[in-house]
Amino acid sequence: MGLTVRRILKSALVYACLTMGAAVVVVPLFWMVSTSLKGPDALFSYPPEWIPRPPMWRNYIDAWKILPFGRFLFNTIFITALAVTAELITTSLVAYGFARFDFRGRDVLFVILLATMMLPGVVTLIPSFLIWRRLGLVDTFDPLVLGAWFAWGPAYIFMMRQFFLTIPKSIEEAAIMDGANVVQIYWHIMLPMIRPALLAIAVLSFQGNWNNLQAPLIYLNTMEKYPMVLGLKFFEATLSKEAPMWNYMMAMSVLMALPIVGLFFAAQKYFIEGINIGATKG
Amino acid sequence: MAEWHAEWYLSTLSHWLLVGAAMIGLMLATYAVLRRLKVRREAAAGYALILPWLLGFLIWNAYPFAYSLYLAFTEYDVLQPPKWVGLENFKYMFFEDPRFWPSVKLTVLYAFISVPLGMAGALATAVLLAQDVKAVGFWRTLYYLPSVLPAAATALLWRWMFASKGLINTLLSPIYRLLDMEPLMWFADERLVLPSFVIMSFWGIFGANTVILLAALKNVPKELLEAATVDGAGPWTRFFKITLPMISPSLLYVMIMGIIGALQNFTAPLFITTPSGAGTFLNVYIYQQGFTQYKMGYASAIAWFLMVLILILTLLVLRWSEAWVYYEVEVRQKRR
Repeated sequence: MGLTVRRILKSALVYACLTMGAAVVVVPLFWMVSTSLKGPDALFSYPPEWIPRPPMWRNYIDAWKILPFGRFLFNTIFITALAVTAELITTSLVAYGFARFDFRGRDVLFVILLATMMLPGVVTLIPSFLIWRRLGLVDTFDPLVLGAWFAWGPAYIFMMRQFFLTIPKSIEEAAIMDGANVVQIYWHIMLPMIRPALLAIAVLSFQGNWNNLQAPLIYLNTMEKYPMVLGLKFFEATLSKEAPMWNYMMAMSVLMALPIVGLFFAAQKYFIEGINIGATKG
Repeated sequence: MAEWHAEWYLSTLSHWLLVGAAMIGLMLATYAVLRRLKVRREAAAGYALILPWLLGFLIWNAYPFAYSLYLAFTEYDVLQPPKWVGLENFKYMFFEDPRFWPSVKLTVLYAFISVPLGMAGALATAVLLAQDVKAVGFWRTLYYLPSVLPAAATALLWRWMFASKGLINTLLSPIYRLLDMEPLMWFADERLVLPSFVIMSFWGIFGANTVILLAALKNVPKELLEAATVDGAGPWTRFFKITLPMISPSLLYVMIMGIIGALQNFTAPLFITTPSGAGTFLNVYIYQQGFTQYKMGYASAIAWFLMVLILILTLLVLRWSEAWVYYEVEVRQKRR
C-alpha cells in the first residue's frame, strides 16, 4: 500500500518537473510567435498580451517587403542545396575509403582528420579568404559551396565511417567474388545500406549551412546575394537604430526558423540519430 | 522588383559542377596511376576514395594553418603585402590592447559557466526522462526544439525578451517592486552581459545534450543496478556509484564538445549589441580586427591564441577527466 502511494507521488513529481521544464522551453518560443503577430502598440503592453487580438498576419507581408526577403530565401536554398549535395557525395566516399580499405598511412591520416575536428575554423579563415580573393571569387556564392567538394566537415566523415564499420564485411566479399568493382559495390550495395547515416548527415549539414553566418558575412558584399541569416542581420542593423520593430524582426526570425523546425519534425529520427552517432564513440 | 541576375547563380552552378566533375576525374585518375605503379588494388582504391578529403586538408587546412601562423608575425592590411614585424602583434595583444583581456575573460568564463550548467540541466532532464515516463518521444522533441532554432533567431528572441520593457522584466516586475529595486538591464548592463549570455545558452543548448545523455542512461546495464539494489544500495548511491560513472564517457564528450563550441561563440554575440563592446567574444573580436579594421596580421595572432587556448583547456579537461572516467573502465573490467 505504502509502496503504491510512494510510486504515485514519485511519478507525479517527475511529471511536475518535466512540465516546469517544458514551460521554460515553450514560453520563449510562444512569445516569439506571439510577438510576430502584434501591432506596434501591443508590443510593450502591460500585462503582456499572450494571444494578440486581432493577430496581425500582415506583419509577415510588410516585413517581407522591407528588404528582398524572397531573394534571401532563394539564396539560402541555393547555397544549402549545392553545399549539402557535394558534402554528402564526398564525405560518404571518403568515409568508405577510411572504413573499408587497407592502405599505408591510413590510420595516421585518420588521426589527422580527427585532429582537424578540434581546429577552430577561425584559424584558417583569413588565409582561406585570401585564396578566394586571389581567385577573384569574393562576393560570389562560390566560397560558400565549392569547398564542400573537398569533403569539409570532418565530423560527418567520422560519423559516416562509424556507420560503415557496423555493416558486415561479408556482404561486399560476396560481390567481390562475383567480380564487381569498387564503384559498383559502392553504388549498388553500400549506398542503400548507409541511407540512414546519409539522411542523418543530410539533416545536420542542412542545418549547418542554413544557419551559417560567418562565411556569408565575410564573402558576400552585395545585399541581393545575402542568405536569410545575413538578411536578418542587415534588417536588425538598419531597423533597430532608433525604435526596434520587434514584431517584424520576430516575424522574419520565425520565417527563417520554420524550414528547420519543419525538417526537424519530418526527420526527427535522423536528427537524433545524427547526434548519437557522433556521441557513442566519445 | 530589382533585376534577377541569373548569371550570379549560373556561374556558381557551373563552377560547382566543374569542381565536382574534376574531383571525380581526379579520383579515377589517382586510381589508374596508382595501379600503373603496381600498387595493390585495395590500397589504390583507398587512396582514390579519400582524395577529396586529402586535397581539402592540404588546401583548406594545412596551408591556411601555416600561412596564418606566418601572418601572425606580420602587419597586413590586404592592400600592401604583409610586413614582418616579429613579436609586435603578440606584444600589443598581451600588454597594450585594452580590449583583448576583457574579451578572453568573457569567452573563458562563458565556456566554463555555461557548459557545466547546461550539462547539469541536461543530466537532470535525461534522468527524469529515463524514469519510465509516458510519451518519452514527445518530451524529448519538446526539449530538443530550442537547439534546432537558428542561433540568429535565438539571439534576436533573447535580446527582445531581455529588453528593458521585455517579457523577462515584465514577469519580474512584482519582484522588483517587492524588493524596491530598479529593473535589471541585462544585455544593456555591462555587468550582466555574461549572465545574460549564459541564460540564453542554457535555453538553447541543453536539449541536444539531453538526447545524448538519455541514450547513455538507457545503455547502463540493468543487471548492474539490480545487483546493487539487492546489495542494499539506495537510489542516490546507485546514481552516484553506478549510473554516473557508467555514463561518464558521454559526459566527457558533451563537456569537451560544449567547451570547444562555447569558446568559438560567434553568431549570437554578433546579433546582440552590448554597451562598450562588453559582449565581444574572442571569435567576434578576431572577425572585427580582420574584416572590419583590416588588421589581418593582428587578427591571425589572436586566432592562434584562441587555438592554443582551446588546445590547452581541452587537454586540461582531458587530464582532469582521467580522475573520473578511468573509474568507469575499472568497473567494466571488474564486470568481465
